[in-house]
Amino acid sequence: MDKKQIELLQGTLDMLILKAVSLGPLHGYGVLLRIQQISKDRLEIQQGSLYPALYRLEHQGWIASEWGEAENRRKAKYYRLTAAGKRKFQTEAEKWNRMADVIAGILQSTPEEV
Amino acid sequence: MRAVMGRSRMEREMDAELHFHIEAFAEDLARNGVPRPEALRRARIEFGAVERAKEECREARGISLFDGLTQDFQYAVRTLSKNPGFTATAVLTLALGIALNATMFSMVSAFLLRRPPGQEPSRAVVISGINPTQGFQSDLSGVSAPNYLAWRQANHVFVEIAAADEYRTVSLTAQGTDRSGQGTSIGRPEALRASAVSSNYFRVFGVSPQIGRTFADGEGLAGHDHVVILSHELWERRFGSEASVIGGTIRLNRENYTVIGVMPANFRLMGFVPQLWMPLVLRAADQTEAARKERSLNLYARLKPGLTLEQARAEMVTLAQRAEESFPETEKGWGVGVRTLPEYLVQNFSVRGGLAVMMTAVGFVLLIACANVAALLLARAAGRRKELAIRISLGAGRLRVVRQLLTEGLVVALLGGGGGLLASYWGINLVRANMNFNEYVSAVPISLDWNVVFFALAISVASAALCGLVPALSASRTDVNTNLKEESRALSAGRSHSRLRTVMVTGEIALALFLLVGTGLLIRRLSVLHNQNLGFVPDHLLTAGVTLDSAQYKDASQQAAFVRNAMIQLRQIPDAEAVAATSDLPATGPGKVTFLIKGQPELPANQRLSALDFVITPEFFRAAGIPLLRGREFTERDNGTGTRAVLVNQEFVHRYLQGQEPIGKQIRLDVSGATPEWSEIVGVVGNTKSFSGSTREEGQVFEAMLQRPISSFALMIRAASDPEGLVGAMRNAVRQVDAELPLVQVMSMHAVIKRQDGGDAIFEALLASFALLALILAAIGIYGLVAYSVGQRTHEIGIRMALGAEKPHVLRMVLRDGLKMTAIGAAMGLVMALPLPRVFEAVLYFGGENIQEPALYFIVPIAMTVVTMLATYIPARRAMKVDPVVALRYE
Repeated sequence: MDKKQIELLQGTLDMLILKAVSLGPLHGYGVLLRIQQISKDRLEIQQGSLYPALYRLEHQGWIASEWGEAENRRKAKYYRLTAAGKRKFQTEAEKWNRMADVIAGILQSTPEEV
Repeated sequence: MRAVMGRSRMEREMDAELHFHIEAFAEDLARNGVPRPEALRRARIEFGAVERAKEECREARGISLFDGLTQDFQYAVRTLSKNPGFTATAVLTLALGIALNATMFSMVSAFLLRRPPGQEPSRAVVISGINPTQGFQSDLSGVSAPNYLAWRQANHVFVEIAAADEYRTVSLTAQGTDRSGQGTSIGRPEALRASAVSSNYFRVFGVSPQIGRTFADGEGLAGHDHVVILSHELWERRFGSEASVIGGTIRLNRENYTVIGVMPANFRLMGFVPQLWMPLVLRAADQTEAARKERSLNLYARLKPGLTLEQARAEMVTLAQRAEESFPETEKGWGVGVRTLPEYLVQNFSVRGGLAVMMTAVGFVLLIACANVAALLLARAAGRRKELAIRISLGAGRLRVVRQLLTEGLVVALLGGGGGLLASYWGINLVRANMNFNEYVSAVPISLDWNVVFFALAISVASAALCGLVPALSASRTDVNTNLKEESRALSAGRSHSRLRTVMVTGEIALALFLLVGTGLLIRRLSVLHNQNLGFVPDHLLTAGVTLDSAQYKDASQQAAFVRNAMIQLRQIPDAEAVAATSDLPATGPGKVTFLIKGQPELPANQRLSALDFVITPEFFRAAGIPLLRGREFTERDNGTGTRAVLVNQEFVHRYLQGQEPIGKQIRLDVSGATPEWSEIVGVVGNTKSFSGSTREEGQVFEAMLQRPISSFALMIRAASDPEGLVGAMRNAVRQVDAELPLVQVMSMHAVIKRQDGGDAIFEALLASFALLALILAAIGIYGLVAYSVGQRTHEIGIRMALGAEKPHVLRMVLRDGLKMTAIGAAMGLVMALPLPRVFEAVLYFGGENIQEPALYFIVPIAMTVVTMLATYIPARRAMKVDPVVALRYE
C-alpha cells in the first residue's frame, strides 16, 4: 500500500466517481481503475466503500445502471452519468474549487496582511 | 413494496456485481504473475468485508426501510417481553386512559356525529323562526301556519318545503289487527307522541317506508286525513311486527284511522322519534291573522340543485321581512334562520356542553397517563444507555436508534389501545344503561361503532408519539464515550432524565388539581341545587298529565266541566288529602305572561313586565304545600262571572309592588287568544323556584282554571302515604269522567324533578371518578419518580451517611424535593383553575346563577398535598434504610 494515501471524505469520493463515469460508462471495478489512473496512482480507494457510494449515487439519481457484457464476456453492471448527475457534478466541482481558493488564500497570507 | 418483491433479485444482482469485482481484481493480479488462488485470496482481503459492504449497499439503496421497520418491531416485542413488569404497567396505564376516552367518545359519536336520515342530508335544511325575545334556544323557534303557506308559495330556492307539528299527543284506544275494520279495544288508553306532517315531509328527507307507503298529496285535506304511518318501535311493540297491519284500523283521539305504512327503525331526527305520523291539516282557521301567533310548525326543506345555503338564507330573510311589513302586529322583530339538517340536529342537543366538559376531563386523564408512561420509558431508556451507546458506536445511525425507541413506544401504545378498546366495550354498555334519564336521550343508540375504533387508534398513535418521543430523543443524544465508561451511571445523564421526569410529574400534579377543582365546583353546584328548598313540598305527591283533545272538548265550558268532574272523582279516592289541577307543576318551568299594573303607563309588547303564569284549581296550594301569606285562595265562586281574581307570589310583590299594598291591586294579563281583562290580586303566596335546576326566584301569577279553562294540564294528588299506590285509583277516577282519555307521565313529584335534572347525577358521578383517577395516576407518577430517584441516588446517599448525615436529614432532603414538586404543580393547577367558574357558566348553565365556592381553592390543594406527600414519604422511608456500606459498593 502506498503510504502517501490521502484519506478521502465521502463527498469527495462521490465527486470522483461522477468524474470517472463522466468520461464513459464503467462497471464498479472499472471506476476504481479509472480513478487510480486519473490520479496517476496517488489515490487509492478503499474497495469496500466504493459500492455503497455507487448505490447511493444511483438512488439519488446522479448515475444510472445497466447490465452489460464485460471484456471477459461475463455480465457486469455498468454505470453512466445522468443529465442530473452532470449538473450535480458541475456544481460540486465549482464549490470545491472555490473552497480550495479560499483555503489557499488563507494559507498564503503574510503577517502584514492580517 | 416493489423493493420487497424484487428483493431476492436485487440480492442476486448485488452478489453478482461484487463477485465480478473480486474476480476482475484477481484476474489483474494473476496477469501480473500472482498464482490464481493467491490472487483470489488477496483480492478478497483487499476488498474488505463483503457482508458489511452489502449491508451498507442495502442501506444506501433504501430497500431496508421496510425490513428495518419489521426488524424494529420484532426487536421491540422481544425487549418488551423481557420486562413484563414494566410492559404491563405501561400498557395498563395507557389502556385505562384510552378506555375512558373511547367510552366518552362513543357518546360524542352517538349525539354529534350521527348521520342524519335520508338522502343527501346536507341539502336538506331546517327553517326556524328567531324570537326577538332572548331566551333558551330563541333562534330555534317554530313558524306559524300562515307563514309556512306563504313561504311555500313564494320561494324560489327550495324544491319543496314540508311542515311538521312535532309535539302532538294522541290517545290510542283501539287497534285493529286485520283489514275487516273491526277494532279491538286495548283496555287502557295509551297516550302516544305524534307528529302531524305535511304530505311531502318524507319526500323532503328522501326516506322510504319500510312497508306500505307515505302520505299522498291529497291526504292533507280535511276528510281525507284519517291515515297514519307507524314508527318502527310502535309497530314492533303494539302490532307484533305484522305486515298485515297495513290497511287495518286503529282508533286515535276517538276517531278511526287507517294504517298505511311503517317507517324503518333508523329514521330518527335528534333522539326524538314520534310514535306515529299523521297528516297535517291546515284549515281556514289556521290561516287567519290570529293564527300567526301560534308558532308551532318546524319547517324542513330541500335546496334546489345548484343553490347554496346563503342564497336560501337571503331569500328567506326577504320573505320574513315582507311578512313583517304586512303584519307588523304579530311579526314585529321575528327573524328567520336557515340551517342545514346536520347542523340543526347538533345544535338541538343540550348535552353538548356536558359532553365537551367530559371529553376535556378524560383528555386530561389520558395526558396524565401518557406522562406516567413517558416517565417509565424514560427511566428504562436511562437504564439502557450502555446498550444504546454500543449500538451507536457500532454504526447504527442516531435516526435508527430513535426509530427503534419510537417503535417500542408504538407497540406499547397499540397494546394499550387494544386493551382500552376492549375495556371501553364494557364502559359503553355501562354508559348506555345509565343514559336513560329521558326519552330523548335514551332513544339515541350508543354503541362501539367505527368512529370509536378509529378514534381509539388515533389516540393510541398520538400517545405513542407523546410517550415515546421524549425518551427516544433524549436517549439518542447519549454521549457514546461517557456512557461506555462505568462510573458515569449515577451521574450526569441520570440527572437530566430525572429533571425531565420531575417536570412531567409536576405537570401531572397541575392537571390533576385542575380536574379536581373543576369537578368540585360542579359537584358543589349540583348538590346546592339538589338540596335547595323548592318552596313547596314534593313528598307524597302523585302527578299525571292530561290533554283534552279538541274533538271531544270543543269549548271552554266542556273543558271546565271535565275539570270539575275530575276533581270530584279524585277527591273520592281514600288517602287523597288534596287534589288539584294546574297548567304546570311547581318548579317545572312554566310559561310567561306579560302584564300591566293599573296606574302604570302602557308599554309596547316587547317591553312589558313579565311573570310566570300558572292556571290552577283552588286546592292547588294545599296540594303543593305552598303557604298562603296574605289574603285568600281561590274558591268555587271564582268562575267566569264577576271580577277576575288572581294570586301572586312574594317575589312578584317584591319586584313590582314595592312598598305598596298588593291586595286589591289591579293587573291586566296579556293572555293569547283572549281579550285582556283587569284582574284583582286577592292573595299572596310563598315563593317556589321556577325550575328545579336553577336557584332563580321569579315573580309568579296564578289564575283560576274556572276563569280561564285550558286544555292541557297536570293533575296533582297529595297522598297520605305512598303516592305510587294511588296510580290505579287515579286512572280509575279519570276513566269515570272520560273513558277514552289517556294519562301521560304518571309519576310522583320526586320522579318528575329527578327527570328534569337530566343526566346531572351521572355527569357528576363520571366527573368525580375521572378526577379521582387523575389523582391516583398522579400519585403513582410521584411514587415512581421518587422511588427511582432514590434508587439513583443510593450511591450519593451512602456517601452522605458515611460522612455523618443523620437519617432524618436524608429523609427531609427527599421530602423537600417532593414538596417542591407538589407546590409548583399545585400552583400551576390553581392558576389554570381560576377561570373555571366563568367557563362553566358559558358552556353549561342556561341562565342559572353561578355558585362561587372559594373554599374549594383551599381544600383541594391541601388534600392533594396530603396524597402526594404520602406518595413521597413511602419511598423516602426506604431511602433511610440504606446501609452506607452497601450503598458505596453499589454499582
